Amino acid sequence: MRAMLDFYLTQMKMALVQQFQYRVANYFYMIGMIAEPVIYLVVWSTVANAQGGSVAGYTPGEFAAYYIVWTLVRNMNIVLTPYAWENYIQRGWLSMELLRPVHPLHAQIAYFAGWKFVAIVMWLPIAAILAAVFQPEINTSPWAVAAFVVALWGGFFVRFMMLWLLGMITFWTTRVSAIFELYFTMELLFSGRLVPLALLPPWAQQLAAYMPFKWAFGFPIELLLGKYTQAQALYGLGAQVFWIALGAILVRLFWRTALRRFSAVGA
Amino acid sequence: MRASSPVISIAQLQKTFYVPEREAGLRAATRNLFRRQNREVKAVDDITFEVAPGEMVGFLGPNGAGKTTTLKMLSGLLYPTGGEISVLSYIPSRRQRDFLRQITLVMGQRNQLAWDIPALDSFELNRAVYQIPRPDFDQTVAELIELLDLEAIVRKPVRNLSLGERMKVEIAGSLLHRPQVLFLDEPTIGLDVTMQRRIRNFIAEYNHRHGATVLLTSHYMADVVALCRRVIVIHHGKILYDGELSGLVDKFSALKTIVLTVPDSSIDLSMFGEVTSREPSRVTLRVPRADTSRVTAQVLASLPVSDLTVEDPPIEEVIEHVFAQGPEQAA
Amino acid sequence: MNFLRVAWAYFRIGALNELQYRVNFFVQLFESFLALATGLVGLALVFSHTQSLGGWSRPELLAVMGIHILMGGLIKTTIQPNMERLMGDVQQGTLDYTLTKPSDSQVLVSVREVRIWQTVDILMGLIIMVVAVIQIQARIGIGQALAFAAALLMGGLMIYSFWLILTTGAFWVVRMDQIVELFQGVYQAGRWPVGIYPGWLRSGLTFLVPVAFAVTVPAEALTGRLTPQTLLGAAALTTALLLASRWVWFTGLRNYTGASA
Repeated sequence: MRAMLDFYLTQMKMALVQQFQYRVANYFYMIGMIAEPVIYLVVWSTVANAQGGSVAGYTPGEFAAYYIVWTLVRNMNIVLTPYAWENYIQRGWLSMELLRPVHPLHAQIAYFAGWKFVAIVMWLPIAAILAAVFQPEINTSPWAVAAFVVALWGGFFVRFMMLWLLGMITFWTTRVSAIFELYFTMELLFSGRLVPLALLPPWAQQLAAYMPFKWAFGFPIELLLGKYTQAQALYGLGAQVFWIALGAILVRLFWRTALRRFSAVGA
Repeated sequence: MRASSPVISIAQLQKTFYVPEREAGLRAATRNLFRRQNREVKAVDDITFEVAPGEMVGFLGPNGAGKTTTLKMLSGLLYPTGGEISVLSYIPSRRQRDFLRQITLVMGQRNQLAWDIPALDSFELNRAVYQIPRPDFDQTVAELIELLDLEAIVRKPVRNLSLGERMKVEIAGSLLHRPQVLFLDEPTIGLDVTMQRRIRNFIAEYNHRHGATVLLTSHYMADVVALCRRVIVIHHGKILYDGELSGLVDKFSALKTIVLTVPDSSIDLSMFGEVTSREPSRVTLRVPRADTSRVTAQVLASLPVSDLTVEDPPIEEVIEHVFAQGPEQAA
Repeated sequence: MNFLRVAWAYFRIGALNELQYRVNFFVQLFESFLALATGLVGLALVFSHTQSLGGWSRPELLAVMGIHILMGGLIKTTIQPNMERLMGDVQQGTLDYTLTKPSDSQVLVSVREVRIWQTVDILMGLIIMVVAVIQIQARIGIGQALAFAAALLMGGLMIYSFWLILTTGAFWVVRMDQIVELFQGVYQAGRWPVGIYPGWLRSGLTFLVPVAFAVTVPAEALTGRLTPQTLLGAAALTTALLLASRWVWFTGLRNYTGASA
């Protein structure tokens, strides 16, 4: 509907303006985030050099490329943390959003989407510096770049839906940190965040293909790095659509029940 | 649609909360993980009333009486545990879009507007959320700016505004979509007296101009007295009184006050009633309501009274007394 | 020394306070286990592709990981909570309550807080270290053990001084919340021996943020790589940093109390 588009654009513009005000804090955060991939990068480059130049098809240059693109994808991956739900529910923010004729999910997605534009722009100089230092090698093609742009946003939506579902658990219990941490650990290992998925043992790689984590993280990176044929890329985009749809269906299924729980405990 | 059909209709409404009971200790905590022990709290216990279009109704009650819970059920935030509820012919808990577009809930000290950008920009977002056509929106904004005197503050970031100013822009933001029903929950809480009066005047003016139905909760008597002819008193989840404000005192107060102007106020008046205050030439007596005319006649007959007035005790006192009673004594 | 008595008093209260929340113990245990599992998986992955990393064997890297967890536990138990509270006090102006107490101000702000459940990490780190040492099958002489203990102590003191200097910056630049996150990111680099990092990064991790001294140097002591020069250098640097942090603290304090009208 045109009205929905209008809402999304307005909310995104507002988020852009607001987050631009906090650009210093945002920059600090992005810079702090670099430590993690740089460490992985150095470790695996060392291994690659020790093994005669490459490991599982990745040279140190390609590791550099992987982990630099990693920083962009990681930024796109940052969505509403499930831990925020406790505040969201108990401080009455959810109530405020429930009063409006727009599902809170839309408001949140639109807000984060607007924020991402600021993040992407701020990422560019950081990427330039990292590239200058670590000398990445990329063998890519125009269609892969285009597909990457799509997959980048696809990854954002996948992770958003998954974490929204995770956050909804807070309606039923507030002792959630164990569940959340377990999820994040699995995600760390199977998404391509800790290591490129090609470095995992084959059984783990197969497992990862059936989980949502890869499609939000490793898939876009590998896509840009030219590791996929067109058919594989298409399959990956389809997997993203699948997970987004699944997430949306589950939210739809459980939202009413969740609101009843919310209602029972009051806020 | 009949002109007299009520905007709000509530019948035998109930709301029970289940509050988890927590014990100390690890074993209790582990048990709690699997089986929650709950305590029942009846926040709203069988209330019934109707509100006609354009009416301004005040909800009076102490904290925890059930006022806010009722408002939340009326606006669809909470599901009733029992009974029926209908607003503008919608069932609020269904939270249909067309319903949400016609109501607004303003909770004192709860922020809806974004913190770090000017209110005007947040208004823009509400325009998109409620799908308000641009010309209507511009007109409404202009009207609200004029009525609430927002010109100077509407372009400043909300975090730079004082508490009273923030409340004004919050109210403005919640009225952009010209709702037909206003639920106002403690709208003047925490504000200074001048600001309270300004907001009251605004609400009255808004109701006058647009014929909106207003349900107002407050524990400031002044709010209710200034705005509402009809008052619903709630205590322990039950309705104690539903009717005109003037009738409130009649129902709850068993006493009346007689103020006498006499040349010598030191005379003993205890045979007439309880003396509550004594000034150089004025004495205030408190007598049971039923005895008012008898005592008045006796006083006039036996004392050199130059002025005599019969008054109700202050509403605040009456209400306080009512609220101080436990649930068993609720009428 | 008065400092020890004060530290012990605060420790007791802090511990008693937190011991009430026994559930937090299990939560912490679970999270520490997850972190450990992740670390072990990372290690296993590396060694599924190679035999040694920068000259360090697998059990030696396990020892590094153990020390990293142990030192991390130490930081999260005492150093971090105190520095975070100090930051909060400066931002909210509640530091004055502490300054009026009749004890050394630096000592007070350094020992007030303790997060007792983080000691799980200290324990876990110790266990990993012991397992690693057994796997290395080297015999650790008394001298080596002493060098290790000394290196660990000095590393801890250096991290503390570093944190204090940084936190004292809050006196001038009031918002320093990002520092905590930044540090945690950089500290992760200590999971691996700093020798693998390119030269400029290695220098940064040694002299800018003393991660190398906190983790790699004690690991070198444990695995027989430690040179007397490094140990002496560590001693010199520790002394320098302790003195510097004390000086910065009192300069900042003077600035703070002078400015508050």
